[in-house]
Amino acid sequence: MPLSQDPQWYKDALIYQVHVRSFQDSSGDGIGDFRGLAQKLDYVQELGVDTLWLMPFFPSPLRDDGYDIADYRSVHPNYGTLDDFKGFLEAAHARGIRVIIEMVLNHTSDQHAWFQQSRSSRDNPRRDWYVWSDKDTKYQGTRIIFLDTELSNWAWDPVSKQYYWHRFFSHQPDLNYDNPEVREEMWEVMRFWLRMGVDGFRLDAVPYLIEREGTNCENLPETHAVIKDYRARLDREFPGKMFLAEANQWPEDLGPYFSRGDEFHMAFNFPLMPRMFMGLKLEDRKPITEILQRTPQIPEICQWCLFLRNHDELTLEMVTDMERDYMYDEYARDRSMRLNLGIRRRLAPLLDNDRRRIELMNGMLMSLPGTPIAYYGDEIGMGDNVNLGDRNGVRTPMQWDGGWNGGFSTADPEKLYSPLMLNPVYGYQAVNVSSQKRFEHSLLSWMKRILKVRKSSPVFGRGSIEFLYPANHRVLAYVRSWGKEAILVVNNLSSSAQAVELDLRGYKGNILIEMFGRNIFPRVGDLPYLLTMGPYQFYWFRLRKL
Amino acid sequence: MAEESILTDDFLHELMNVGEVDVLVGLPTYNDAASIGQIVQAIRAGLVKYFPRQRAVIINADGGSHDMTQELVRAASITDLQHTPNPHALRTLHSISVRYGGGPSTGRGLYAILAAADLLHSSACAVISADSTNIEPEWIAHLLQPVCQDGFDLVTPAYHRHKFDGLLVRNLVYPMIRALYAKQIREPYPSEFALSGRLATHLFGQDGWATVAEQDGAKLYLTISAIAGSFKLAQALLGSKTRAQNSPPADVVDALREGVGPLFFSLDQQPAWRSSMPSEPVPILGGRPEVTLEPLRINRKRLYDLFRSGVSELEPLLSSIVSQATLQQLEELASRAEQEFCYPDELWVKTVYEFAASYHRAVLNRDHIIQALAPLYRGRAYTFLVENRDSQSEEVEKNVEALCLTFEKFKPYLGELWDGRK
Repeated sequence: MPLSQDPQWYKDALIYQVHVRSFQDSSGDGIGDFRGLAQKLDYVQELGVDTLWLMPFFPSPLRDDGYDIADYRSVHPNYGTLDDFKGFLEAAHARGIRVIIEMVLNHTSDQHAWFQQSRSSRDNPRRDWYVWSDKDTKYQGTRIIFLDTELSNWAWDPVSKQYYWHRFFSHQPDLNYDNPEVREEMWEVMRFWLRMGVDGFRLDAVPYLIEREGTNCENLPETHAVIKDYRARLDREFPGKMFLAEANQWPEDLGPYFSRGDEFHMAFNFPLMPRMFMGLKLEDRKPITEILQRTPQIPEICQWCLFLRNHDELTLEMVTDMERDYMYDEYARDRSMRLNLGIRRRLAPLLDNDRRRIELMNGMLMSLPGTPIAYYGDEIGMGDNVNLGDRNGVRTPMQWDGGWNGGFSTADPEKLYSPLMLNPVYGYQAVNVSSQKRFEHSLLSWMKRILKVRKSSPVFGRGSIEFLYPANHRVLAYVRSWGKEAILVVNNLSSSAQAVELDLRGYKGNILIEMFGRNIFPRVGDLPYLLTMGPYQFYWFRLRKL
Repeated sequence: MAEESILTDDFLHELMNVGEVDVLVGLPTYNDAASIGQIVQAIRAGLVKYFPRQRAVIINADGGSHDMTQELVRAASITDLQHTPNPHALRTLHSISVRYGGGPSTGRGLYAILAAADLLHSSACAVISADSTNIEPEWIAHLLQPVCQDGFDLVTPAYHRHKFDGLLVRNLVYPMIRALYAKQIREPYPSEFALSGRLATHLFGQDGWATVAEQDGAKLYLTISAIAGSFKLAQALLGSKTRAQNSPPADVVDALREGVGPLFFSLDQQPAWRSSMPSEPVPILGGRPEVTLEPLRINRKRLYDLFRSGVSELEPLLSSIVSQATLQQLEELASRAEQEFCYPDELWVKTVYEFAASYHRAVLNRDHIIQALAPLYRGRAYTFLVENRDSQSEEVEKNVEALCLTFEKFKPYLGELWDGRK
């Protein structure tokens, strides 16, 4: 299957996020690798997604699961070789699957040769590749992101006897983007991978590239200038490739990352995600409609990226204190589930393994404006292990079957990079791909179906959204439109049956066709359109004027 | 009264959209345009501030206002329909305004609100009067939190009141309920109160509820039902109460119909008063209510005159209601000069009990009995005003306490009248 030639392919994409380490081990060393991932591309294709987003696979001391990169131009030996990566990339492309990789621009590992040289002496040519200071009092207005582990954004370097700046862990020194050499070198890194054929980058932690005194050192104009420069180079040299921003910011601060279509192609909609969970728990559409009203309009060629869960904690940075308290109380009453300002849990446990809620949340994910991302394992309802440190509890091995190591690896279980899920609810013997493939009504089969339905219409990826505001606030309803096509989406956020009357006068004369069963519903007339909905039920209707 | 007649189809339709709620605030109105906007805003602020996580609804039950009351209620409401995000509210705060059936009446309005609370499975419901112009958002917390958090079933208010405010409550309703039902509730038929969903459901299971709702005696009946049903009671200090300037002065007969009629009616419906129990205080949350003493101009002479003329004109009626001995004492009182006039506690208590017994036996049309009490009540009010003219707050309280004890002392007398032994 050839890759789509549409330069805006990312608007129609269905992204599947995978950690190479966690997906499939082909070498029997207990760690997933590129050959293993390549072996599972048929599964990815069958699932119905068309884009893979890989977490960092570069050489790294792995103190932050690969986000601490020690060499940007190679593959961590645990995961194979550069040739293995190339083989995987070709195989993916052959199946019509694009590959997005991580690019951690903001910082490196303290083990990276650049930092080692930089710290070696104050007059090293690479000294200015990082941000150094005699005092740890500069940039006082900057928040600390990893509150649970870091006390300051400065760390003392005993070698060169100065402080270095780090927005994340202290072993992740920030690169100095005021230095043109750094900017040039990082572009060369991106060119390296783009020439190899990767289809885009998820640019990690982009708001923090530049520091300025008297600011909060986030979202600065100088940071945007750096990104604009990279984007111009990308468009010039590699048309059709894509930048995805990881900018965990408030909606009003996210707009500038699209600028006039000359910065990022896509950005994660961080504020929306926790509010989807909040709306579900509150049984009230308000948090969702409210945040989407606050979400800025973006240029036509740009796109939001939506997700329910990913490799990080369910971040609660972009919520109010009251909302955060509520989320903690409802989704992480056990304090061990909390990390930094977030909740380190997977989708199924967050939703009490309730199939109806899992389906509803995925239904919203797939039908709200944006490109959806599914996190590996969530399509089968994998659980998490909060007893593992940091965010490792949501990064356990993929559960392929009920056999040895869940089909993930032939290694002795003790050798696995992470313990498998073993409990009777989420353990690999209960939750795995093989068993779910056998049943038409398994979560996996359902996920395949919804991805297929989503793929059947460009409206979801490209269309506008018009919220209906039925008097019943437990119902979230909207019409997605693109060209002559329109789709009505109705979600019951409540745990009980609901009646809802929709004002569809603007669509009078249309027939509603339910998109999963293709059944015909009554024609829209002058009266409010009455629907009754079961608990957590949702409908996608194609509106057709026949 | 058929339930359908009050809960109109439109009302039900709105409730359908609201769905199950945790807290409900009811606002009965009838031509309250002058005050309603600020009251709705205060309620909204209270709900958003103190109940951000709860599913909440404000229900305005209107009796058919002609002065844009309902429009003002709707305009004062902020929902996501107006695209006005409120960063402090987690959820949609529903606010609906509906007209109940059967024409304007306090009882019907309350009935509609409590029916909504019952239908929506609200765990707590507050009712706020449309003339409470000095309402603060904190009132919502003071009334509802004891229900939501502490498990109380009925929370009545306590106000800082002027010593001459609430004369009927002080001279009859409070002491009589205290004597008969053994609970010391200072505002037994309040304009603001909160109740649990459990109590609302209990009311709808009672035969008398629909009747009293139709007769505007619902609030008092509700209080007595809560006492008789051994529900958990509390009082919440709300501060001072200011009535809307456009509120008409209370007509004595209307006041008696609202306060005394349902009390007498309840004696039949809620016979728990027959068992003898010492009265006990009901906890007051948030501090002690104070008696205020600012100078107040009251036309006492008119009360005295109306007592005298009433006793004279209603003598044939009174002879059917009160005992011969009581009637004689009333006539003797009526013959006294103003400066010698005093309607003593004991005679007043006996009068009231004899009226209650006659109401029970329906010796006359019951409304006529209530009306006949009006001049006598005026005489008692005159005495209270004179007695406490120069009293400080403690003394006023002491006098009220003495009256309460007299009501308690003569409780057996009411029992004898009730059983026809007197």
